[in-house]
Amino acid sequence: MNLTLFLQLLLPGITTGCVYALVAVGFVICANVSGVVNLAQGEFVMLGGMAASWLAVTAGWPLVLAILGAMLVGAALGALQEKLTLAPVRRAPPFIQVTTTVGVSIVLRGFALVLFGTDPLSLPGFSGDGVFFVGGAVMPVQSLWVWGMTLALLAATFGVLRYTDIGRAVRACSINLQAARLMGVDAERLRVIVFAVSGAAGALAGAVVTPIVLSSWDAGISYGIKGFVGAIIGGFRSPLLAVAGGIGIGLVEAFGAGYISSGWKDFIVYGVLLAYLLIRGGVFRVGRAAFAAALANPMR
Amino acid sequence: MTTAQQKTALAALLGATAVIAYPFLFPGDYLLGVGITAGALATSTVGVVLLLGLAHQLAIGQAAFSIIGGYTTAILCIDYGWDPFVALVVGAALTMLIAWAIATPLLKLRGFVLVMATLGLHLMLIVVAYQLPITGGAIGLPGVPKFAILGVMHFTGETDYFYLVWAIAAVAIVIGLNIDHSAIGRALRALAASEAAAASVAVDIERYKVQMFVIGAGMASVSGSLIVHYLRAIDPTVFGFAFSLNLVTGTIVGGLLSIWGGALGAVVIIGLREVLRELSLPLWEAMIMGGLTVVILIAFPRGIAGFIGDLYDRLVGARRDRRVDVTPPGAVPLASFLAEDKDTAAMLEVADAARAFGSLRAVDGVSFAVAPRSITALIGPNGAGKTTLFNLIGGYQPLDSGAIRLGGREIGALLPKDVAMLGVGRTFQNIQLFDNMTVLENVMCGRHRQLRAGIVEICLRLPHARAEERETRRRAENALAFVGLRGAEDMAPTALSFGHQRMVEIARALALEPRLLLMDEPASGLNDTETEQLAELVLRIAALGVTVLLVEHDMRLVMGLADHVVVMDHGEKMAEGPSDVVRADPRVIEAYLGREHDSAA
Repeated sequence: MNLTLFLQLLLPGITTGCVYALVAVGFVICANVSGVVNLAQGEFVMLGGMAASWLAVTAGWPLVLAILGAMLVGAALGALQEKLTLAPVRRAPPFIQVTTTVGVSIVLRGFALVLFGTDPLSLPGFSGDGVFFVGGAVMPVQSLWVWGMTLALLAATFGVLRYTDIGRAVRACSINLQAARLMGVDAERLRVIVFAVSGAAGALAGAVVTPIVLSSWDAGISYGIKGFVGAIIGGFRSPLLAVAGGIGIGLVEAFGAGYISSGWKDFIVYGVLLAYLLIRGGVFRVGRAAFAAALANPMR
Repeated sequence: MTTAQQKTALAALLGATAVIAYPFLFPGDYLLGVGITAGALATSTVGVVLLLGLAHQLAIGQAAFSIIGGYTTAILCIDYGWDPFVALVVGAALTMLIAWAIATPLLKLRGFVLVMATLGLHLMLIVVAYQLPITGGAIGLPGVPKFAILGVMHFTGETDYFYLVWAIAAVAIVIGLNIDHSAIGRALRALAASEAAAASVAVDIERYKVQMFVIGAGMASVSGSLIVHYLRAIDPTVFGFAFSLNLVTGTIVGGLLSIWGGALGAVVIIGLREVLRELSLPLWEAMIMGGLTVVILIAFPRGIAGFIGDLYDRLVGARRDRRVDVTPPGAVPLASFLAEDKDTAAMLEVADAARAFGSLRAVDGVSFAVAPRSITALIGPNGAGKTTLFNLIGGYQPLDSGAIRLGGREIGALLPKDVAMLGVGRTFQNIQLFDNMTVLENVMCGRHRQLRAGIVEICLRLPHARAEERETRRRAENALAFVGLRGAEDMAPTALSFGHQRMVEIARALALEPRLLLMDEPASGLNDTETEQLAELVLRIAALGVTVLLVEHDMRLVMGLADHVVVMDHGEKMAEGPSDVVRADPRVIEAYLGREHDSAA
């Protein structure tokens, strides 16, 4: 096997996989505190990239401020989504709740389209547009930023989950929402916080990855679906497995493009997604077990 | 004419008028093209109503099927010179075949997982369209001919094609309405209201989901072909991700629960797009449609169609939940809702049945038999395992060991709907009526076991389907009269008193023409008068030749009714026999008095 080609696929695969992993973690944590899978998750990554590029390139802000600005936009929109669209349908059937998040994702796409137009935006690399070499493979220096930022965000997430009150509250909610509320966890406030943080984290991921992949108004759906695979591999319970799943999808995508065909890349990724969903979804689990699960949890 | 029929007639009249008038009001090829696109889209959105609104399947990648239909049409017409109409039909058939093949595994997925799976499917097909040589890659396939039917009719003018497209949309609407008003529509609404109760009347959920998926796919395919003939070309961006989202948002805004809402949604999408184009704000479309969708979902889930429907009700003053006098049971001919063949009453045997939850043996080796045409009561203190045993008989929980036989046939391994299919009706302790239907429709749901009309007969409302619907209605009305609720047919179940709701549930179970009727604590929540009426009703049911097995706390009711009593305690059978013998049994007295003693302490 050609080692250089292998590395040239592996390393960028990890880079995009990092973004999917962050989206996946966002999916898992939001789903656990709100009981709803937020299908707009990928749009925050897109918006973060767009907002950072626009602020830095068009409005001429210093890079750091542009990124902070993008994160602020993500946080505000995340909190608004929870407050304005999810809180009112909390008691509605899950069918309505999920569809509402689809509606929000369309709004966010439309919002980006109106604000930034159809042309992809770019952002200069945080420490220049240079490259470095690993075993013959050429990598943009920006990859280091993506990896580092992902590690930092994940470390912060797990640290918060493990060692802080808020983290304990989130974990309590994910184990038993009802019991957590009875124990005095202010679930409404917690949800707003989690959605805001997850919006900001998504926006940061989008900003950091934009120098490599550009940013376009319709990119959110792809981040969303691929991050979703990561989340579902973690069974919507374990953030750690979700990270593995996200990076795994990044690798499938990169190797599929490199070894099979770049044109069929998305076909391979979505094919893997579909196969995985069908296997997990109980296609091979028939009869009463599936029925009992359905009775216990009608829409999920 | 009922209010629902009036609304349908009015909507049809208004819709037809609007379509006929459109070319006169908005002449010119461009505006006719707008109308054509709306009509083609309406064919798809009707399918979305069936799938999302009726079957509650969040399959939002419907444009995937427009891709299959659109490319099939283009390839057959350009490369093989086929007649466009034949190509359209072949494309739809191919699409439905593919949809049917993938439906069973796909629809096992639920909620957001199904959203993602169907989106993934759609995005995969877009890649295929880009990559396959036969689909022409990114350039696509230009040179699609104008529409024609079998070389006889040619739709060269835009006005002609406009009328054709809307005629096809009308066919889709009629098919949608036929399904909505049929047993299938009731079954799917039943499923949305209560999955357990739907299973108790033998509703075959999976089959209907698959049928709606396949029909929706066919409609999306036809819509794709029609659009391709209008554009005279197809490329991978025509039926892209935005197209799928438009179908969903449009349908939600139009009204997810009504076929008319689907058609309206298509008009809203296209209308909004044109208005924004006029205002030079085309990029705002997604944001406005998305925003409208969210607002509608939060504030008014039934959409514009639901709003108009309510407005009509208010203007005409026909509210469903007005007070109706409930008449006492008259002389209802017994055979009027049960099958004539009375030799069907069956013996139920429970042999050594066991079910444990973890280390708790809820039912531990219980055996007893229920004689045909008898009234048997299952009693015991709270936590004795009665309800678990009931759920075992009904198929709601699996047996760990032992056997349950109905008329000699083993039913212990069957699913609830299959147990119901064999003629086992049941009522629930916490009443499970379908709140989204009228009282009569609730009872009509009970007759699923007897329905034979196929999906094609129902879609086209062929004579067999129509006769069956009439028969279902007649027998349901009689069952309702039998329990003393003549006059409550058009009321909402929630407008009835608790006691009457229980009677509706019993009527629904009777509509099943049960051989065995299971009643889970029928007297719970009833006052003394209602309990007396219930006792009288149970006796009349048994007199029809229906075997009755009831779980009950109310000892007076049990002792007055039951031929045979089975007493359970701690998951085991403690005593069994005629009611007076059981009542005198010291162990039974101890179990009951002991419980009272505990609670007094």
